[in-house]
Amino acid sequence: MTRRVALAAGIVVLLLAAGVVTGAYAQASLFGPHAPAPTGIVGWIVAEQAVFYRALSGLIRAAKTDGSAYWGLMGISFIYGIFHAAGPGHGKAVISSYLVANEETWRRGVVLSFASALLQALTAVVIVAVAAVLIGATAKMMGDTVRVIEIVSYVLIVLLGARLLWVKGRGFLHALHEVRSASEPDHAHGGHAHHDRVHAEHAHHGHAHGHHHHHDHDDEEDSVLPWGHAHGPEPEELAGPGGWHRGLSAIVAVGLRPCSGAIIVLVFALAQGLFLAGIASTFVMGLGTAITVAAIATLAVGAKAAAKRFAKARAGYGSLVMRGVEVGAALVVMAFGGLLLTGYMASERMGMF
Amino acid sequence: MLYRFVFLIIVTACLFAGSERADAHPHVWVTMTEELLYAPDGSVTGVRHAWTFDDMFSAFATEGIEQKTKGTFTREELAPLAKVNVESLKDYGYFTYARVDGKRHKDVFLDPVDYYLDYDPKDTVLTLHFTLPFKVPVKAKALELEVYDPEFFIDFGFAEKDPVRLVSAPTQCTATIAKPNDGNFPSSLRLDQAFQTSEANAGMGASFANKISVTCP
Repeated sequence: MTRRVALAAGIVVLLLAAGVVTGAYAQASLFGPHAPAPTGIVGWIVAEQAVFYRALSGLIRAAKTDGSAYWGLMGISFIYGIFHAAGPGHGKAVISSYLVANEETWRRGVVLSFASALLQALTAVVIVAVAAVLIGATAKMMGDTVRVIEIVSYVLIVLLGARLLWVKGRGFLHALHEVRSASEPDHAHGGHAHHDRVHAEHAHHGHAHGHHHHHDHDDEEDSVLPWGHAHGPEPEELAGPGGWHRGLSAIVAVGLRPCSGAIIVLVFALAQGLFLAGIASTFVMGLGTAITVAAIATLAVGAKAAAKRFAKARAGYGSLVMRGVEVGAALVVMAFGGLLLTGYMASERMGMF
Repeated sequence: MLYRFVFLIIVTACLFAGSERADAHPHVWVTMTEELLYAPDGSVTGVRHAWTFDDMFSAFATEGIEQKTKGTFTREELAPLAKVNVESLKDYGYFTYARVDGKRHKDVFLDPVDYYLDYDPKDTVLTLHFTLPFKVPVKAKALELEVYDPEFFIDFGFAEKDPVRLVSAPTQCTATIAKPNDGNFPSSLRLDQAFQTSEANAGMGASFANKISVTCP
């Protein structure tokens, strides 16, 4: 039984990964005039979720007269959420990159995914509750509100990426310095090598250290790399307790922007006089979304762990590669924010407003 | 070790290439009926769109609009919304792409005229009517019109019944339509070219485009 569940989970993860790969392949024309047609698994996901989304309207109507339609509504909302998260604007890439850049555990990845998805649902409910129920705003006003929130969210993503880049960039330069001094033949005298080993030990335990590298000889690397002494905090320190504060910034950056689909469903439910059913549906959708994002995030963390084991086998350079991967991931977070902000990458449109 | 490394490369590729746009998905569905308007000299003067939105989007779009009779909206009540719609559509080139004698033309339309929204209280759906006049009336043997959202947030589809009408067209003109993925697209579009040039990419985008082809020999 459990094996079957594990197998099913594995297949789901593989499908999602394949979908992301197909998406990445199709990404080739990011700056082209036309987005490519969704094909393959992505096309299938798009088609499936379109069916579910359109089924929602019928179920909400049915729920007006038939109480049992509520169950169907919740079920479809859940499945729709799972499929829907494969689409843009649900922070898969940002959360995954964030987790890779930081030395995060999969548990934290799952928690981050759920928290941001539920925040997303909450924002949608709050916007519709305030705009439509309280002040009778029009669709255009709601669309404008979402746009403002969107910009704030994208700026936050850029800032998140920039901070990661700052921290991880320093870590990378530090690792580069390490590798360089270790491989410099002129310095390969016993004392130095011993020193490096001590340093590696320190780094591993995450102690603050600023005492070494004061070599008497003229260290060429120091002049090439003036940042060599400015040690960023080691990943182990960053992942420690108190890191939740940092996680919060990722949750807010990703979860602030509500999903357009949720807002449309909520307004439709409101028009049908079933606002509460709409709210329940939105949160169930968020739950489904969270599962997909969490699966992808877990995959990312797993990949990082595998990379780390691989890197361990290559002393020196291995750690350099890992720091490089982290810098790359930080860059990805920042690039995503930047592309979203400048409109090169569309998230979701609210229709024709 | 090797399989782990391959796995790692795949996953990293996913993460770094990202997928936040290519797998866009629609939240708005449009069922369209199109009319091509002809001048007495046989040239096409404009395109008349009638786009019916799905019920959820219609409910969203009409939210907060004053109505005299509950359950329905008059054309006058919807006039401000129609104006907002056509003005926003300008940014997207009205999702209407023209190809004259095989050549893609940009910026061929003037601002829309005769636009209004209708509300169908039975199906609770909105229909946006608007006419796009050609800047210069088109007199061509072959005119192709495509209607689609390249970002696929709006899913356009032809109405089942009478999707295209030629209004006062010369009798020898005929119109055919091609729906997405129905195999009517040029098979000459080779996959190896598809990702190389933007023109080829346009072909890729067309696989969810709805195409009207009019030929007047």
